[in-house]
Amino acid sequence: MTIYREMKANRSRLMAAAVNHQKLNAYHDQLMAQTVQLAMEKVKGELGDPPAPFAFFLMGSAGRYEQSVWSDQDHGIIFAGDDLCKSYFLRAGTEISNALELVGYERCDGEVMSSNPLWCNSLVEWHQQITAWMTEASWQTLRHFSTFFDSRVLIGDTNYLTELKHTAFSILEQQPDLFHRLIDNVDFYRKGIGIFGQLLPEQQGEQSGTIHLKQKALFPYVNALRLLALKNKIFAPSTLSRFSQLPEGYQSLQTYEKDFRALLDFRLKFRREAKTYKEVHLISIQDLSKQEKQELKSMMRKGYKLFSKTKTKIEEACSK
Amino acid sequence: MDPIFLMNNVWIMVSGVLVFLMLGGFILLEAGSTRMKNAGHIAGKTVFTVGITSLVFWAVGWGFIYGSEGTLIGFGDFFFGDATTMGEGLAGSTDFFFQMAFACIAMTVAFGGFAERAKLSAYVVFAVLFSALVYPVVAHWIWGGGWLADHGKQDFAGSTVVHLTGAMAALAATIILKPRIGKYNKNGSSNDIAGHNQVYTALGVLILWIGWFGFNAGSTLEVADAFFGYVALNTQLAAGAGAIGAMLIVWAVTGKADVPTTLNGALAGLVAITASCAFVEPWAAVVIGFIGGLIVFLSMKFFDKAKIDDPIFALSVHGTVGVWGTLSNGLFATPELASVGRPGLFYGGGFEQLGVQIMGVVTSGLYAFVVAFILLKIMDKVMGGLRVSEEEEIVGLDLSEHGSYGYPENLPQTDKNTKATGA
Repeated sequence: MTIYREMKANRSRLMAAAVNHQKLNAYHDQLMAQTVQLAMEKVKGELGDPPAPFAFFLMGSAGRYEQSVWSDQDHGIIFAGDDLCKSYFLRAGTEISNALELVGYERCDGEVMSSNPLWCNSLVEWHQQITAWMTEASWQTLRHFSTFFDSRVLIGDTNYLTELKHTAFSILEQQPDLFHRLIDNVDFYRKGIGIFGQLLPEQQGEQSGTIHLKQKALFPYVNALRLLALKNKIFAPSTLSRFSQLPEGYQSLQTYEKDFRALLDFRLKFRREAKTYKEVHLISIQDLSKQEKQELKSMMRKGYKLFSKTKTKIEEACSK
Repeated sequence: MDPIFLMNNVWIMVSGVLVFLMLGGFILLEAGSTRMKNAGHIAGKTVFTVGITSLVFWAVGWGFIYGSEGTLIGFGDFFFGDATTMGEGLAGSTDFFFQMAFACIAMTVAFGGFAERAKLSAYVVFAVLFSALVYPVVAHWIWGGGWLADHGKQDFAGSTVVHLTGAMAALAATIILKPRIGKYNKNGSSNDIAGHNQVYTALGVLILWIGWFGFNAGSTLEVADAFFGYVALNTQLAAGAGAIGAMLIVWAVTGKADVPTTLNGALAGLVAITASCAFVEPWAAVVIGFIGGLIVFLSMKFFDKAKIDDPIFALSVHGTVGVWGTLSNGLFATPELASVGRPGLFYGGGFEQLGVQIMGVVTSGLYAFVVAFILLKIMDKVMGGLRVSEEEEIVGLDLSEHGSYGYPENLPQTDKNTKATGA
């Protein structure tokens, strides 16, 4: 307990010192890996060594290597054993979730954590689950699938996750219609710019006057690049890597990479001092200079354009 | 009996009933726009304050308006009981009934400023005082042959007399009562205390809209030339334009096509055209209503920023837009239709009528505000406060003021198993 608290006490200082987005996320990885290892040591002390090889993987903004100074938890476990091992890994998942919380990563509202049986499965179960999600293709199961797909292994064998992504790609190849459903699943986002070209901040409550940067600016880029990654079988989870791995024929979309990079820097610059996860995505527009407002609007507009072009491109490709 | 006399009376009686029906609209509008824990109270208080207003209007209200043609106030004809009928125009009792319904509407508008925090006793006392001392005075000045009537003030159906007067009393009340618990945060930002049922609110608006045909078209006070049809046409156009104007502006500014704002836009169109419905052309009715819809949104924002908590937007819908509606006569009244006063600025009448309208708004608004404020302040002192206690406000006025709940199935039940046994 004490060690986690010390880690939390150190993190703010270290994170504030992170000079860029890359360094900040490298520090997050280091902190999370250390935390997970400490939690696993505790579980080993209670229940012995893990009964099977496993991979602990990250999803969400951590999975995409896009965390801000504060972030919530999104993670899962894949183990290469039978169902009898599940109770061990669920216990490990619970310990990890508690430890990450103590270190300053808020619990996930949607319970996307390895303490939840849905996100802690054997490799065989994961295969079945991903196939079932894509077969059912309901709003909820595709939302799970999209969450799952922005993932990377933090500790353990990376092959398990790669294998699962292979499964997903082959299902999508056989059923290209699923792309329409995946587009529908992320097609709604709250507008950030009004018809007079003005920023649309929150109107009510303590957050009035702020723009939710994640929902209104980052998501269109993130969602567009996830769809493109699925279409082009790109395994990398980060939006920037996905940009760089787009094949020929996508040059017109690749030009938006610099805008996304600028957006990440913009967020870091303004929210470096944020004290909580709740604050980290909120930018008060009255704190922005005229030029900064213009920059933000330009980055938002480009995100909306990118998403719209991506939709057209994927829909065209699927109808061929 | 002269058939025209009979038709006049039938039409105004029907119109009076339509105006009375507007109270049903207010019940749904107010209950829907406030929280569940106050719904029964909001609905019930409307009914009993209408009772008080009716009796006070019968005893003295009518007499102060129409009792004699004094400059500042009428006097006489108290405890109205005229059973005679005349050969032309309206029977006294028909006229009385129609005017009484208007007084009830003004009272209900004023109580908008009390919502969700005033004591029941404050409603009772203020219903008497407002119906006797505030509304009749303004109504006399403009409709009862008072000094503003002498200047040719145009207010066909009561943008000033009914809506602005009611809203000014609401403003005085809301300033004295202060914002509801939880409306404003420490950092100065305001919270949206959403009403519990938008369907009620929408249905309330529609009932008010229907009732408004009695309010405006009935204000012809006769069937001659079937002019009421023209008034109804202008009323309809302005209401429609108001709803559109409000939805467009709230969408353009906030990115959301907010439903309560749109509903307030329809009401704003109706309030705006109330003063001018008989004096302007249909295209002008569209403009007046549309601008009313824009103004109501800006006014809602203004009061919110000024930390004046207006739970059901009475100040914006009836006050700010009531002012606009009255002034619009000074711009759009046509020479052919201006049966009172002069044509407006856009019809070669110059600034004269606009000046009269401004004077009417300022004096009437000021009188209603100042007198209501003084009366409420005195009540505040004498009654030991107008507002319920913090605990009562949190529990809700259904329980604190009436001892029963508007939605009994939702009343939290004490679990017998967890109750202390006393052992």
